Amino acid sequence: MHMATVLTINGETKSFDAPPEMPLLWVLRDVLGMTGTKFGCGIAQCGACTVHVDGKAVRSCVLPVSAVENRAITTIEHVGSTPSGAKVQKAWLDLEVIQCGYCQSGQIMAAAALLAATSHPDDSDIDAAMAGNICRCGTYVRIREAIKQAASGRQS
Amino acid sequence: MSGKMRILTSLVVIAIVVVALGVWIIRGPGPLDFAGGPKVALADYRAGKPTGVPAKLEKASLVERGEYLAKAADCMVCHSKPGEKDYSGGLGFKLPFGTLYSTNITPDKDTGIGNYSDQDFLNAVQRGKRHDGARLYPAMPYTSYTTMTDEDVLAVKAYLFSLPAVRAKPPENTLSFPFNQRWAMIFWSAVFNPDTRFAPDTSKSPEWNRGAYLAEALAHCGECHTPRNLGFALDNRKKFAGAITAGWRAFNITSDKATGLGNWRDEDLISYLSVGHAPGHGSASGPMGEAVDHSFSQFAPEDIRAVVAYLRSVPPVPSPDLPATTAPVAPASHKDGVTADARGKQMFASACASCHGWSGESPVSPMATLTGTWAVNDPAATNVAQIVLSGTKRHTPDGALSMPAFGNAYSDDEIAAVANYVTARFGTKGSKLTAKDVAELREQTAE
Repeated sequence: MHMATVLTINGETKSFDAPPEMPLLWVLRDVLGMTGTKFGCGIAQCGACTVHVDGKAVRSCVLPVSAVENRAITTIEHVGSTPSGAKVQKAWLDLEVIQCGYCQSGQIMAAAALLAATSHPDDSDIDAAMAGNICRCGTYVRIREAIKQAASGRQS
Repeated sequence: MSGKMRILTSLVVIAIVVVALGVWIIRGPGPLDFAGGPKVALADYRAGKPTGVPAKLEKASLVERGEYLAKAADCMVCHSKPGEKDYSGGLGFKLPFGTLYSTNITPDKDTGIGNYSDQDFLNAVQRGKRHDGARLYPAMPYTSYTTMTDEDVLAVKAYLFSLPAVRAKPPENTLSFPFNQRWAMIFWSAVFNPDTRFAPDTSKSPEWNRGAYLAEALAHCGECHTPRNLGFALDNRKKFAGAITAGWRAFNITSDKATGLGNWRDEDLISYLSVGHAPGHGSASGPMGEAVDHSFSQFAPEDIRAVVAYLRSVPPVPSPDLPATTAPVAPASHKDGVTADARGKQMFASACASCHGWSGESPVSPMATLTGTWAVNDPAATNVAQIVLSGTKRHTPDGALSMPAFGNAYSDDEIAAVANYVTARFGTKGSKLTAKDVAELREQTAE
């Protein structure tokens, strides 16, 4: 028997039963059926599970739900309705960044958090913010270009 | 007596005096000598009850009382190997002269302590003497447990004997000569084991006396936090001033304001001991994390307060290698603050920043905040390197928070680079670890 956990996800209040130590990623995918956020390594080393907590990019696979009660969680399903998320998604489509796509919801979440904090990132800002998001297809060059395009607002 | 005989006799006498004086100087004061007040035998102490279990367990069964005391003495952490049955032994302690394995203390008759009589058990716990007469190595902290009352030791025995017997033989020790000569411990024990039971100090409060009993006889704080003397026994001239144990630094827990616990609030200490975290001071990891999980977190609240009251009274001893104040929050941008060590920075960006943040204040949980911790303010970076190598998992009332172990994923060179970057960015003075230092730290951790 667990106390009902209440989280605020994408502006909506969600209530469910889960042990307090269950990682947020498990709650999102298995309890709430929000499968846009991906499982990669499970130890915060690949970035596939990135979500926003209070606007900051964090790895949901090592984050117990008890740590995020009363905090604003945003996932890939909703990030398009934030200003930086919308810009990032458009640039991603314009430049056709994605190859297999598995890591890309994490990449987009990390890029959107970067732009929200640093509106005109240079290469070193992109390195610092994106180094923890791994892409095995090697889309890094297009990711960098898309972040710059999203920041500049220019069209391709 | 001839002249020659007289000279020889004088030389022998002088030699004996010199050795005795040397032993006396090396041995130094006992763990409670700093308190200085008059001591009375426990039976004559009326002001309170410093030994035994807290009030809520007074009426509990012998086994339940023993369970509380066994947890307070933290028997399990050393006598269990991760993945194996509790108390079945086999945990390896890597020493410079070989590896020592903990024993099975389940009631199995062949491989455990099933044949121990009450007197056998008292001899082992209070005097370091095994059932077969052989001597224990002081990795078993019997010089601390010797202060426990017979009643409490036997309650622990009753608890251990209530557990399922596990058939498990620990590996043979691999100590090299002369350390493999167990009999030599007779002399060590004669010098360094006081073999006396707890005697309350009437000049102190009942709470202090309870705290002293818990911290000294049971929790054996000094075994990690007090530096060792030439004889590898505790040097109580620097009581609780900090030391390296099992490859981790046990920090200064004297009342020193700058580098000890002097500026911690009572609630910080209570929180650190009971849940393994105090805001602004970091989280317990490594051996202290285990002590919190298996021992302190099980203490009754009044016992935690008694330990805190006792710790407050330990005379200040500064740690000269630590800064007088810990470093403030680092800049929010990766561009500001420390910029040297490109490799360390790259490691931090890819492996650490998503949980610890560029400022050191974690976006995830206060438990993962680096700012203010001694680990990042220690210019030797011992615990930073250790936690990167072996990770941590803390169980709090709100659930578990963990850090992955990176020891198998990164090279010694990379771990040194990230530790040097982390101490430079979030501490007062960057460390200068090399790959060789990290390799040595790997060697020392118990497994």
